[in-house]
Amino acid sequence: MQYKSSELTSKYLRSRKIPSTACTGCGLGINHKIVVQAIAELGLEVADIVWGTSIGCAGRQTFATWKGDGFAGTHGRVYAIARGLRIALPPEKKIILTVGDGDAFAIGLNHLIHAARSNTDMTVIVNDNLGYQSTGGQYGWTTPQGSKTDSSPYGMFEQNLMSSGMDVMKILKGAGATFLARHVPMDGAWAVASVKKGIQNRGFSLIHMPFPCPTNFASRELGSRDPVNIYRWFKEHAAPLGQEKESTIWATGIWHDASNTRPEFSQLVHETVEKIRRTGSI
Amino acid sequence: MKRYLETGNFAITEAAILAGCRFFAGYPITPATELAEAMSQRLPQVGGIYLQAEDECAAMHMCIGASLGGYKAMTATSGPGFILYADPYGWALGCETPLVILNSGRVGPVSGITGAPGQGEFYLTRYPTQGGNFESICLAPNSAQEVMAMTVEAFYLAERFRMPVTVLADQLITDGFEDISVPENEDEMKEMGFRVWPRKIHQGPDFYPATDEIDIPPVVLGHNTGALCSDWTPTEEGYDIEEVEAHHKHAFRLIYKVRNHRELFSHHNEKKFMGDDPDLIVVSYGTPSRVVNTAVAKAREQGLKVGALRLINLWPFPDELFNQKAKYLAVELNWDGELVREVQRAAPDDSKVHFLGTCGDLPTIADLIETCEKILKNEPLARKGWVLEAW
Ligand code: SF4
Repeated sequence: MQYKSSELTSKYLRSRKIPSTACTGCGLGINHKIVVQAIAELGLEVADIVWGTSIGCAGRQTFATWKGDGFAGTHGRVYAIARGLRIALPPEKKIILTVGDGDAFAIGLNHLIHAARSNTDMTVIVNDNLGYQSTGGQYGWTTPQGSKTDSSPYGMFEQNLMSSGMDVMKILKGAGATFLARHVPMDGAWAVASVKKGIQNRGFSLIHMPFPCPTNFASRELGSRDPVNIYRWFKEHAAPLGQEKESTIWATGIWHDASNTRPEFSQLVHETVEKIRRTGSI
Repeated sequence: MKRYLETGNFAITEAAILAGCRFFAGYPITPATELAEAMSQRLPQVGGIYLQAEDECAAMHMCIGASLGGYKAMTATSGPGFILYADPYGWALGCETPLVILNSGRVGPVSGITGAPGQGEFYLTRYPTQGGNFESICLAPNSAQEVMAMTVEAFYLAERFRMPVTVLADQLITDGFEDISVPENEDEMKEMGFRVWPRKIHQGPDFYPATDEIDIPPVVLGHNTGALCSDWTPTEEGYDIEEVEAHHKHAFRLIYKVRNHRELFSHHNEKKFMGDDPDLIVVSYGTPSRVVNTAVAKAREQGLKVGALRLINLWPFPDELFNQKAKYLAVELNWDGELVREVQRAAPDDSKVHFLGTCGDLPTIADLIETCEKILKNEPLARKGWVLEAW
């Protein structure tokens, strides 16, 4: 199903927030559109979703864009907020969180892992701009190895969560996430299909979506702010899972799909509480 | 009315349930652990939810989430956990989310002695988060019965002011066994002065009016009202904005909605032997006030013109209670002196303000009477308040 951008915008987004204040050529808008497209293709309405964001470029650009109810949490804490909110919301309401890589994989990793462990129903879209770009361009924990950033002028030499086989997706799988996928913006309909699966999983889903940041990352690492340059660079360093090459940074596709196989957190909690209330034990 | 010989933790749990709390998230920490345990036992029996979080920061954020979803929520901790609430406290404050926090103080700094009472978070309850430009509400009971009343009151105030409210207790209050009366119906609750404010749902689209108005229902997500809340400076509709003028409106509201409506809770403070303009006023809060009350009564018997002022609403600080020209003595469970500084600030310029601190243990009645005597006679104190005579 194909939607025109304008149709998606008028149905789901707040006009006063469009266009966003993202820099020219920023890939975040493509990720954002992929998520809204997935929502539309699932036939969901504005009332069906509570949209949460956090800080950084991803938080700032996606906060209050959704026409329905929305919130933004502080650095890394949005998963804990979402777990409390999940308990209070009716089960059919979806929680979609659009967050950044620093938020999810650094300051919020502990909370993220516990959201995965408990299999709390939420769909986390990690918009990864390859570092801390809203603070000017420092390295993060999924910044490609060796990259020059404002805080790694000699190249990012620490081992991180995308290097030497240490993929953050493996940590999340081990922690109990029931749906995991990774996509780059040029994956288009393929990425939309994964986000749809993530939303349909009644449990913890995460879709890692690295995207080009021409302003900070590209200007430091690639020496150019020309968006074409970084989009080409992205394409060269992404490959579908199983078809990775030496140069591949991002193995794309569905990493793990155990959708609807484990009890969902809030359902488990409510059912257990109800049983205790009725019978005095579990 | 049912009577129990039980702990403060029991009283807090029953109070929270009476106030409509149906969500508690916490992280084990002595001496607040027993409260979490009591909640885990009792809440499911009334259809409520107990969650154990991965840390204190998560615990309070979970409460925020539940509150945003329409639950009345509560968390409890001790000093080392209270400091980890700094981050979510700011969020709840900025987003005007109702929430109740119980802090059972223990002696510090840092982990200190886990099983000894302390009063080291007096200022931390005033400034529990970063950024300034806000007012806080903190209530400090001194018994198991009173912590029950104050917990119910904290929920009431949290709803009306739509903000987090802190109940500052200490280890002796939460862990000590006392005679506790629990009301069994609404009439009994009213009789005991318990006030309950129902959770209402903000229908938007405005996030806040730029006035000091209270009783505006908090944002509840999931009703498709288009409600928005974030940690950024909000516009009146809840959008984020980077404009100083918008921030002025926001901060004005956070400060003056509390300051301008403090008469709602400032009546809690307790005055004893204050009718004849005493020469010395002993100021305290929490557990030490129980010893102070006894000591002042005995000092009176000995003919000393001493009064006792017990603070229950610590913040906003009740400056109006310190308009009397007299000598003041602040009694606290710490050696660095926190309350005393606020008394110094609030007391008339030419009033002498003294300090008696103890650490990990209550002051003795004899110590207090002797100190009062010496102050009244202008004699040097055996222990000079701020300074210890020997290491
Ligand atoms: S700094 Fe980078 S990631 Fe942030 S909005 Fe600009 S281009 Fe996008």
